[in-house]
Amino acid sequence: MAEHAWILAAVPGIAFIVMAAFGRNLPRQGDWLAVLCATSIFALFFAVLANFLNLGEAAWPVLNSIEWTAIGDFHLRMGIAVDQITIVMLAVITTVALMVNIFSVGYMKGEPRYWWYFAVLQLFVASMLMLVLADNLLLLYVAWELVGLSSFLLIGHYWERRSAVEAAKKAFITTRVGDVGLLIGIILFWEATGTFNILDIIHYVEEGAIGDTRLFVTMMFILLGAMGKSAQLPFHVWLPDAMEGPTPVSALIHAATMVVAGVYLVARLLPVFEAAGALDVVLVIGLLTALFSGVVAFAQTDIKKVLAYSTVSQLGFMFVALGAGYASAGMFHLFTHAFFKALLFLGAGSVIIGTHHHQEMSQLGGLWRKMPITAGTFLIGSLALAGLFPLAGFWSKDEILHAVEGQGTFFFFLISIAAIMTAFYTARLFVRTFLGKPQDEEVASHARETGPVMTLPLVFLAFMSIVAGFFIFHDFGSAFGFPGGFSEFVFLHYPAVFHVDWGLVGLSTALFVIGTFGGAWFYWNGRLDRSTVIAEWQPKVYEMVQRKFYFDDLYQFLIDRVVLGFSYLVSWFDRFAVNDTGVDGSATLTGYTGFLLKHLQTGRVPNYAMAIAAGVVALTLLSLAVGS
Amino acid sequence: MVPMENYLVLSGIIFSLGVYGVLARRNAVLVLMSVELMLNAVSLNFVAFSAYLDPDKATGIIFAVFVIAVAAAEVGLALAIVIRLFRNRSTANVDEAATMRW
Repeated sequence: MAEHAWILAAVPGIAFIVMAAFGRNLPRQGDWLAVLCATSIFALFFAVLANFLNLGEAAWPVLNSIEWTAIGDFHLRMGIAVDQITIVMLAVITTVALMVNIFSVGYMKGEPRYWWYFAVLQLFVASMLMLVLADNLLLLYVAWELVGLSSFLLIGHYWERRSAVEAAKKAFITTRVGDVGLLIGIILFWEATGTFNILDIIHYVEEGAIGDTRLFVTMMFILLGAMGKSAQLPFHVWLPDAMEGPTPVSALIHAATMVVAGVYLVARLLPVFEAAGALDVVLVIGLLTALFSGVVAFAQTDIKKVLAYSTVSQLGFMFVALGAGYASAGMFHLFTHAFFKALLFLGAGSVIIGTHHHQEMSQLGGLWRKMPITAGTFLIGSLALAGLFPLAGFWSKDEILHAVEGQGTFFFFLISIAAIMTAFYTARLFVRTFLGKPQDEEVASHARETGPVMTLPLVFLAFMSIVAGFFIFHDFGSAFGFPGGFSEFVFLHYPAVFHVDWGLVGLSTALFVIGTFGGAWFYWNGRLDRSTVIAEWQPKVYEMVQRKFYFDDLYQFLIDRVVLGFSYLVSWFDRFAVNDTGVDGSATLTGYTGFLLKHLQTGRVPNYAMAIAAGVVALTLLSLAVGS
Repeated sequence: MVPMENYLVLSGIIFSLGVYGVLARRNAVLVLMSVELMLNAVSLNFVAFSAYLDPDKATGIIFAVFVIAVAAAEVGLALAIVIRLFRNRSTANVDEAATMRW
């Protein structure tokens, strides 16, 4: 089954075609088909996993490819490569996709274009699975663009709303900047090695087939793609805006799966990054992103925006782990983060539905009485994100701290700060949304718990948020299909048997306590005066944080002045030089010449005959002259 | 044997007469006849060259036959045009058929 893992991508692909064509006319607009599709790939994943484990280490990675096209001697193959990283990604994608599909049935009830929403969701799942299964960079790039497309379509689902359209456009264009880099990187790889196959490329690089400088440049381009997709500084601007899309989409695409494609890509090519000496760049970018978005999350008041910046920050953590050379830590954080961040987003979705579309924290508060299941699961998700022992986020953050330890005290200190900030904004989010007294009686009085179709996915994801961290342990991981525990399973070549470092556990818990209690103290019981004091004490700083360090303003300025200015120049050149002079000018010249020359046409046959005769005589004389 | 130059001179004379006729005559039928003269001069050249330069092969002669066939077809077509011209304009004068211009 593992060599036929492409079926996983094919099933939702077919579902997309069916639903896009007939979804509108199906009973219930085809949502059952979406859930059925998600359930079947979830089941199929276990068939793949069982077969993969049966085949044993010697058969990994499981390869299967067909010839795509042949041009002369150049044979382009496309196919799948299932290795341990792929298995982890498949686990995340199929699980979260199933939960999100079920949740969406409740969340999207009665919304416009219900069928289209589910159809595009299947397209996304199909392309995301293709992305992680692809054995060559070209196929990966195709899938990479397809997930971008589905993301664009889903962010802009409510296209009647101008902000949604703007956000969709912003997401597409911003990631496109990175994607161009990725494409250049892929082409550079191809030029140097003559292949797109990922394993071959790693092999060539390890043999030293590409020169140092060239390899570094190539990896910078590849990294650009990863940064765009994973919303790393300075490409992070699209992700918070992407919250315009339906909330389950934010959970699936903008928290659990698509945005980690960049992390996946770097993890997959980590040996190459290592050989290129580009890991430090990854580390620094990740660290800056983690710190930056942690700070910005303090000042956000929309619960989805807080979660969005939190996601950016956590993606930064993953990049830090990768940059430190610990792909297992990065992938592990990816794995656990997918569950608790999907949980938090779906929880936010449940709040939005339960309060009839209120998502400003200033209007919420005290919801736990009205929405106990949502509040409970959200609490578990928050604690997992903040890093409470022994929830999922604790173990993966621990691994990252462990990874950064070797990079020097300075980096370790900064990543600890970022961890404290994580706990802080998470506490703020939870306290202001669910605890204290209601900020808006009107909203609170109408709030009610959502139905089981929405709470059951929450409960399942809460369960995963508790246990996913234990996968790192030898026995627990083995029992759930990761023999030898997560790290060992994923990276046979980096034999790092996990052992609990109690000193680190203590430190990590201290970070959690500082952050959480700090956040809770500031916002306990719906009071804002403590935080307002700071805002009033340093209004400039506060404004800077609230305006997200002016990144959006800077980009807007660049677009308005530089891009549009240049566009104006180009359009002027097109109008005057190309159109008026080049095209119209040549036409006018031809017309005027014709006007002058038409008088040669007398219409009298003897004139023409005379011209011919004269021509013949002239030519004869000429040939005689030249001949002699 | 008559030298080849004689044939060529004769051919040249006939051709020049044809050119003169085409340029000087007004009547379309006479113009056509002059064209025939030019063609015949060319045919004569072909035959002369064939007989003197490569007597074993009939290349030039075959060309002459082709020229005669093509000339016949051309005259058939041209006379039809002349008849149409005469029907429409009541004249066969080429000077008067001068409307084919801008």
